[in-house]
Amino acid sequence: MSFNSEPKLCLPRRTSRAGGAACVRLAARSRVLGLSIVIVSIVGGELVLGARMALASDGEATAAQPPVTPRLISFTNDVLPILTKAGCNAGACHAKAGNGQNGFQLSLLGFEPQDDYVHLVKEGRGRRLFPAAPDQSLLLRKASGRLPHGGGLRLSPDSPGYATLRDWIQQGTANDGDSAPALVALAVDPPRTSLASGQQRQIKAIARYADGSERDVTTLAQYESNDKSMAEVDEAGYAKMLDIPGKVAIMVRFQGKVAVFNASIPLGPKAEISLPVRNFVDELALANLRELGISPSPVCDDATFLRRVTLDIAGRLPTLDEAASFHANNDPRKRERVIDQLLDSPEYADYFANKWTALLKNRRDDVSDITSNFAFYSWVRDGLLANKRYDQFVRELLAASGTVIGNPPVAWYKRVKDPKQQLEDVAQLFLGVRLQCAQCHHHPFERWSQDDYYGMAAFFSQVGRKPTSTRGEELIFHKRGIAGATNVKTGRLLKPAAMSETVPPIAADDDPRLKLADWMNRPENPFFAKALVNRYWKHFLRRGLIEPEDDIRDTNPPTNPELLAALERHFVDSRFDLKALIRVIASSSTYQLSSAPLPSNLADQQNYSRFYPRRLPAEVLLDAIDDLSGARTDFPNLPIGTRAIALPDNSYNNASPFLKVFGRPENESVCECERVQSSSLAQSLHIMNAADIKSKLTTAGGRADRLAKSELPVERRIEELYRAAYSRDPRADELKVALDYLSETRLDAAAKPLDPAAAATENFQDLIWALINTKEFLFNH
Amino acid sequence: MNDSRRYTLGGIPPAAFSVRAAVAAMVAAAAFSIGTRTCSAQSVGLPLPRLLTTTPSGGQIGTEVDVTISGEHLEEAADLLFDHSGLTATRKLDAEGKAVPNVYRVKIAADCPSGLYEARVLARLGISSSRVFSVGALPQVVPPSANTRLDAACELPVNSVCSAVLTNKSVDYYVFQARQGQRYLIHCAARGIDSKLDAVLIVADGAGKDLIAERRGGSIDFTATVDGRHLIKVHDLTFKGGPSCFYRLSLRELSASERIPIFPSTQAVNTFSWPPEGVAAVAPLAEIEPNQQPEQAQKIQLPCDLAGTFFPAADVDRYEFLGAKGDVWWIEIASERLGRPTDASVLVQKRTGEGAAEQWVDVAEFNDIPAPIKPSSNGYSYDGPPYDGGSSDLLGKLEIKEDGVYQLRVSDLFGGTRNDERNVYRLCIRKAAPDFALTAWRLHFELRNGDRNAVSKPLALRAGTTVALEVVAMRRDGFDGEIELAMDGLPPGVTAHGFKIPAGQSRGIVIVSADQDASPSWGNVSFTGRATIEGVPRTHPVRMAEMAWPIPDAWGEIPAPRLVRNLPVSVTRWELAPLTISPAEKNVYEATVGSKLTIPLLHTRRSEFSGSVLQLRTFGPGFEQVPRFDVSIPADRSEAVLDLAALKTPPGDYLIAFYGSAVAKYRPGPESPTNMSPPQDTVDIIVSEPINIRVKPAESK
Repeated sequence: MSFNSEPKLCLPRRTSRAGGAACVRLAARSRVLGLSIVIVSIVGGELVLGARMALASDGEATAAQPPVTPRLISFTNDVLPILTKAGCNAGACHAKAGNGQNGFQLSLLGFEPQDDYVHLVKEGRGRRLFPAAPDQSLLLRKASGRLPHGGGLRLSPDSPGYATLRDWIQQGTANDGDSAPALVALAVDPPRTSLASGQQRQIKAIARYADGSERDVTTLAQYESNDKSMAEVDEAGYAKMLDIPGKVAIMVRFQGKVAVFNASIPLGPKAEISLPVRNFVDELALANLRELGISPSPVCDDATFLRRVTLDIAGRLPTLDEAASFHANNDPRKRERVIDQLLDSPEYADYFANKWTALLKNRRDDVSDITSNFAFYSWVRDGLLANKRYDQFVRELLAASGTVIGNPPVAWYKRVKDPKQQLEDVAQLFLGVRLQCAQCHHHPFERWSQDDYYGMAAFFSQVGRKPTSTRGEELIFHKRGIAGATNVKTGRLLKPAAMSETVPPIAADDDPRLKLADWMNRPENPFFAKALVNRYWKHFLRRGLIEPEDDIRDTNPPTNPELLAALERHFVDSRFDLKALIRVIASSSTYQLSSAPLPSNLADQQNYSRFYPRRLPAEVLLDAIDDLSGARTDFPNLPIGTRAIALPDNSYNNASPFLKVFGRPENESVCECERVQSSSLAQSLHIMNAADIKSKLTTAGGRADRLAKSELPVERRIEELYRAAYSRDPRADELKVALDYLSETRLDAAAKPLDPAAAATENFQDLIWALINTKEFLFNH
Repeated sequence: MNDSRRYTLGGIPPAAFSVRAAVAAMVAAAAFSIGTRTCSAQSVGLPLPRLLTTTPSGGQIGTEVDVTISGEHLEEAADLLFDHSGLTATRKLDAEGKAVPNVYRVKIAADCPSGLYEARVLARLGISSSRVFSVGALPQVVPPSANTRLDAACELPVNSVCSAVLTNKSVDYYVFQARQGQRYLIHCAARGIDSKLDAVLIVADGAGKDLIAERRGGSIDFTATVDGRHLIKVHDLTFKGGPSCFYRLSLRELSASERIPIFPSTQAVNTFSWPPEGVAAVAPLAEIEPNQQPEQAQKIQLPCDLAGTFFPAADVDRYEFLGAKGDVWWIEIASERLGRPTDASVLVQKRTGEGAAEQWVDVAEFNDIPAPIKPSSNGYSYDGPPYDGGSSDLLGKLEIKEDGVYQLRVSDLFGGTRNDERNVYRLCIRKAAPDFALTAWRLHFELRNGDRNAVSKPLALRAGTTVALEVVAMRRDGFDGEIELAMDGLPPGVTAHGFKIPAGQSRGIVIVSADQDASPSWGNVSFTGRATIEGVPRTHPVRMAEMAWPIPDAWGEIPAPRLVRNLPVSVTRWELAPLTISPAEKNVYEATVGSKLTIPLLHTRRSEFSGSVLQLRTFGPGFEQVPRFDVSIPADRSEAVLDLAALKTPPGDYLIAFYGSAVAKYRPGPESPTNMSPPQDTVDIIVSEPINIRVKPAESK
């Protein structure tokens, strides 16, 4: 097609360098009066566009007759999705912070189309695109591997994506910017289904636009399973269920919108379950098991329950007296009673204060931090002891003002100074939402935008600080003024908005942090109670109903939404009573199931058909070893007898290799994942060989020493060891092994028999050492 | 300096000194281990007597109690002195009639009021710093030393007080028998009586299981739910302990309706500005709730004096008054200065519109009383005094521009979440009542590392010493005039030269000099400031401030400055000033406006020094800008040259002094057991004797 020197109009190209499709000749001295592009129809999932223009020539209006045959490619809705699908604008590639890759920058996942247009079309002296010969465009030559490309082959020349990009370039690299119909929703088909293990299914993704049109974007969407051990999905949206039963979700993303495909993978046909239903937890957990055809393990025995619940609530092993008393008690409600006793114990406050202060970053960076750290720890601990309402606890923390000594939660503002960090921590810890991504760009997996981020930041914009006479500490006060925070991208000053929800106007005299607290503790708040009950559920059941526990989002649904909702309701109805929540969880049959799997639930990893054992946390394990061995760990500048679960901050990790090896956190993160709960070779070696363990075994007056000197029958002494370690009596085979070992003759280095007293001491030390090294001791089961 | 004691300060031992006294001095020094350092690191401040503990820390009215003292440099401690005649002390004698070292029998008269008193010791280096001594009506119990285990809990009778010292890394246990339904008040006095203890108070059941904890120095108001044994645990917030961590634990029964008493406490430095003269002890008006919303505002008439409470959390109190154009009111709130951890704020709003159109428009806002002079930050070096005279209370002027209805919106910027009805405030709105309040402290060092050791010092002067006090004025209601400073009752041989606080300024310097030949003595000094306000002379006391403890490292330990109630000044000849700088002539140095004035200085040196140059700066209004100049320490003479032209000094009479810091090679007095130890590099402020100057007008040509 050649227009020579004739006047011409090409749609929708803005440059005049290249010829191309969709051009019409214009009469000399023609003027364009108007131009509109419309969607004519949707054929085969593709948009057919038409154009209409009004021209005038020499004062005479002339209607041009389109024919605009090749489909006009939309930069926003066609080109960018291809780049996203190909991974070009992934964070590790051209959307890398700084300058992208080799000077070519794209916005992350195409969230900033206009920036991307400039980067593609305007920058690089225009060399990235070559409308006259589209295939020679740098963009296509790199992406197709015809030129060396650090990112490798991203688009095969025969792929539809390549063709679309080529067409767009050939059409003149139009920028449809604001005129492109906005994507308003993404749906999946089907949204929810049940698929047997091994079954496969195509997921279909449908985009809905502001103009009411729909488009099948299955090939352009991205897919990700929230549990790859349960379901796989390929890049075309073809999902395959694996062998693990339960609920799995596949996240579908397309241009900033997300949708979820939920699949339940039953183990077998609906199962008959005859466990005692103690409360709503059991009703809903068992209903889920029934639906999935998973049989639960039976309820555990008393010894296991007592050990489990004491470890989980009080962070310690039951004492011999407690175990004896519990076993001798015939009260059918004795399990509930022991839960109440544990909740009333100071150890409950110690243990959960240990948990919360780690998450609230009670960290010692300087010697002078000691006072504020101890004050903060004590504030948390005393609140738990008094069973302060959770919403009040959060309120006091959020809106803390004054000095650390006068009002200890102020210490949190000493530790977390940046308002952005404050909102991120608050969102993650108390709302279960990770907002960090939204600081710089739209959250890739969620609906959170930068406006949402800075709307939250605005709540912390009026935190005033004044110097004090204490080094490193400031007074915190409410600084009078209208709260607001500026979206650094748009430059707009935003009023406080709680997770995109507007709140009533906040007067200059009102502390916006209190308004945030008001918003949080509203019964209908979709995040606050949910985040807490999920966190506590995980504490007791090892796995959150949403996992990770602080990543609550539409695309990461709970494994048992009904149970989560019921727990949330219960917590709100109880007026955020933490002890009531623990009581309802710990008294359920679901919590009290045996950890021994049945063949029919061995594969289950998320439906709580059995108790999932977990290694004791570092502090609990250290205390447990002390309790069993009769030794004591002394911590610097703390009273003798201070237990590891009652340590106020992270500084004691330095003095205790044990705590470090077993993963006690350094209180740097609001994520529970900072605590290392996995096992390692170093842990095994430490338990077996470390000097501190050996010294505990040989403690003068310790259990081994005492039992060796005891005149009780050996069987009774062995029973004591088993009761102290496992809260149960030894089985017959265990007793025999122990008796045999204790009766063996011990030889010294010269192969001469040891003195009987020394031999007995060593034997008991060995026996304790062996018990410590068993999984039954190391794990809560 | 040619004599054989050239490395020794002073050198004139009192005749009464004996070997036994020296041993006693060693015991006293050892009793508190902060004593004289023998390491080679540089010390701060020449040794001065510091009374650090009295054990017990108080007693019951109408009884006698044996009190053991400890401290620093209390060698040859003679008298234990109190600032109230109802308290008298004599040396305790053993069976042979000999004085028991460091133990006094303190008699508390039956008519001695309950409260806190300043105790000081007169030792050979002079008067010591103060330590609070508590007097109350409750019988006093002294616990056994080993009540640090649950099974060794000390019995604490109901309605008694226990004076105790916490052991490091320990918890003290007490047991009492409670009656079901009975209300008990458990209080632990610590910070408020000069202790370093941040007391944690816990009430536990008979098995030791914690029931209630209080960690902010408050009381526990506890009603027993069961009869029988209950425990009280006391420990420090960070589990520190030792002699400085003393406390007084009281347990008393309260009736159900009885108000919690206010326990006596030492006063923070910024309380020097409260109350203004003429303010009644009890406010004539009280806040009436609810007054949170504009339509609920409590109507008041100005002037007014009102007591309110920042309670409950996020409390807002609104007061409404009619304002007349041209009125000027002064608004003052005291809350922090009443000892409460609050930050009062007042917003004044004017009503506009009526009915639905009614609006409250901001007119003025008041926050904080700024420090009269900027206090030191916690930076590497001092950049101001380590005392803060400012407050989070407020004081400001409200000018009414239009007739109308106004409201004060009173709130606590710290009070968003705290529910504490003890957070009271006093609101005074008055016509201008110009006045002033004064506080003072010994001039601090400009040292690195936050070392505030030197500021916890009594006015115990070595003969030949001149010291400077920094005096700070809080001016009230627009008073802008000059304030004269004066000291009365100085001991013989001690003179004070009070520089004025110039009009419009907040800082002045008082120079106190002990003559080189002054005899040992001491006296209680009256320190005042005088001004004429609206034609009426006014005199107010200057409240002295001290650190409660010498703190070598303020980065590691929070300084605890407080006001003291008296100002004793002493002179010793046990040691003399290491260096005295005095004008060659005692007469007035005269000069003409715009000329240069040369002042010859004499150096009387009684110690060796580390370094040979002393950099001097100048005190005296109008002379602070004199450039630093160097004088040679080893030299016997030097001179200061003042360029009156550069200073633009107008004609008049002036009093100036020069000051700087020097590192003396200090040895204690010649009879001291440590006298033969290597000398200790000790930095201290050297202040010259005051110098009178007269600047005469230029002769007309």
